[in-house]
Amino acid sequence: MSDEALTINFEEEIKQFKPSLEVEDIGEAIVKSDLTDMSDIMMELLKNA
Amino acid sequence: MDQMMKIRRVSNSYYNAGLERAQRRDLTGAVQCLKKCLNLNKYHIDARNLLGLIYYEMGEVSEALVQWVISMNFTEENNRADYYLDQIQRKPERLEVVSQNVKKYNLALMQAQSGSDDLAVLSLTRVVEANPRFVKAHLLLALLYIEHEDYTKAGKSLYKVLKIDKNNPKASWYMSIVKAKTGKAEIERRKIKNAFSHRQMQDDDVIIPPSYKENTGWQSILNIGAGLLLGAAVIFFLVMPAEMKQMNNEHTQELLQYNEQLNQKNGEIENLQSTMDQYLNDKEQAEEQLNTYLNNSDNEVSQYAILVKMLQAYRSNNLTEAVTLYPGFDPSLFTDETVLSIANGLKQDIETNGYQTLEDLAYTMWSAGRMSEALNYYQTCLTIRPDNPNVIFNMAMINRSQNQTDTAVQLFTQIVTQYADSEQAEKARQQLAELVPQNQQAAVPGQSILDQGQHQDETEAGTEGAQTQAPEAD
Repeated sequence: MSDEALTINFEEEIKQFKPSLEVEDIGEAIVKSDLTDMSDIMMELLKNA
Repeated sequence: MDQMMKIRRVSNSYYNAGLERAQRRDLTGAVQCLKKCLNLNKYHIDARNLLGLIYYEMGEVSEALVQWVISMNFTEENNRADYYLDQIQRKPERLEVVSQNVKKYNLALMQAQSGSDDLAVLSLTRVVEANPRFVKAHLLLALLYIEHEDYTKAGKSLYKVLKIDKNNPKASWYMSIVKAKTGKAEIERRKIKNAFSHRQMQDDDVIIPPSYKENTGWQSILNIGAGLLLGAAVIFFLVMPAEMKQMNNEHTQELLQYNEQLNQKNGEIENLQSTMDQYLNDKEQAEEQLNTYLNNSDNEVSQYAILVKMLQAYRSNNLTEAVTLYPGFDPSLFTDETVLSIANGLKQDIETNGYQTLEDLAYTMWSAGRMSEALNYYQTCLTIRPDNPNVIFNMAMINRSQNQTDTAVQLFTQIVTQYADSEQAEKARQQLAELVPQNQQAAVPGQSILDQGQHQDETEAGTEGAQTQAPEAD
């Protein structure tokens, strides 16, 4: 393992941590969930074709 | 439609891969596979439920609830998500704790990002205490520990993460840094190198066990000391108790034997003591009998001595000495017939020929003032010849001279009553008149009124006074 890999840029690393979803925000998260799947895309493509 | 079928198949493949990784606790890899599965087929209920379960396992309860609620929206019947949601709704206090914990994590994250690392560490410590499976909190805490160069604590947090999620890429990276900083990476590298190094061994190669360490001088001394202590401890705790027990048993047996012997000896001593006491008692009795035998004249030996002396006196024509020995002479004690006949002959001879000598001897003693001897001889005379008022009178006179008035009166009275016609009777009356007052004479047994009157006349006529001296020999 390289020396670079054995060091941490703390400032950069800490930015990668995201807040955890709170219980109060579950409803909003469900609503905002993007549930589009490949089947939906395929159906949309077939409609437009 | 073929495209749709292919999409379903690929989706299922991702689900299977995700399930397989979840079973190997590669939760991050499983999440990636399951997300791809759901991107291909959002109606894959099992994949969504498993994704929620993995989120729940990693401490992301809210994310899990989102997936399970969506799953229930797609299919309500025979949906495992219903069970999960029911379990969570049954424990609202647990959900409240989780909610507070998530808020604390978010606050700690903000503090860490704003530079308040110490506050963030304190908050995260409480968060992971409340929810030990909160992977993101552990990772953030480990990052802060690494930043503070507290690699030991960072390693502990990362170890917990890797126990939950074996291939968590962030945890693995952080752990490699911690190992590098603490030197454990080098140790592991050596182990791996030794484990996988393959070369042909030479004749001079020595296989050294991994646990072997080269001892220095001090280590050798310490090892020797430890060995000695261990040996001493083994002897003290294992060998000594057994030896002590054996010795105690032997001593107890010896003690019992000695006690038995002691009891036997004590018994013998008691027997000997009782025998000795018996012998001593017999000896004392024998001595007492011997003394009694020797000191008492009423035995055969004494009588033999008297007999010999009397015969000696006869041989020397000393009748006086023979008569002197007569009072203690009792021939009846002799058992031998010959001796008995000699003794009886001797006694008869003394009684016949020696009586007068005996009486003369008594008178001589009286005259010499040896009253008791005189009385003894007179008593012997009476023994030989009881009817002798002269001897009785003389004995009465001796008693009167010794102030034995009662005895004298008795003897005088005996003469007056039994030998009233004798020469001594008159003298006895006179003596009685002197000894017994007028008013008491009547009480004198055997004395008549006539005798009293006669006695009174004689008294008035001026008879002889009381004689205290020996009379003239008849």
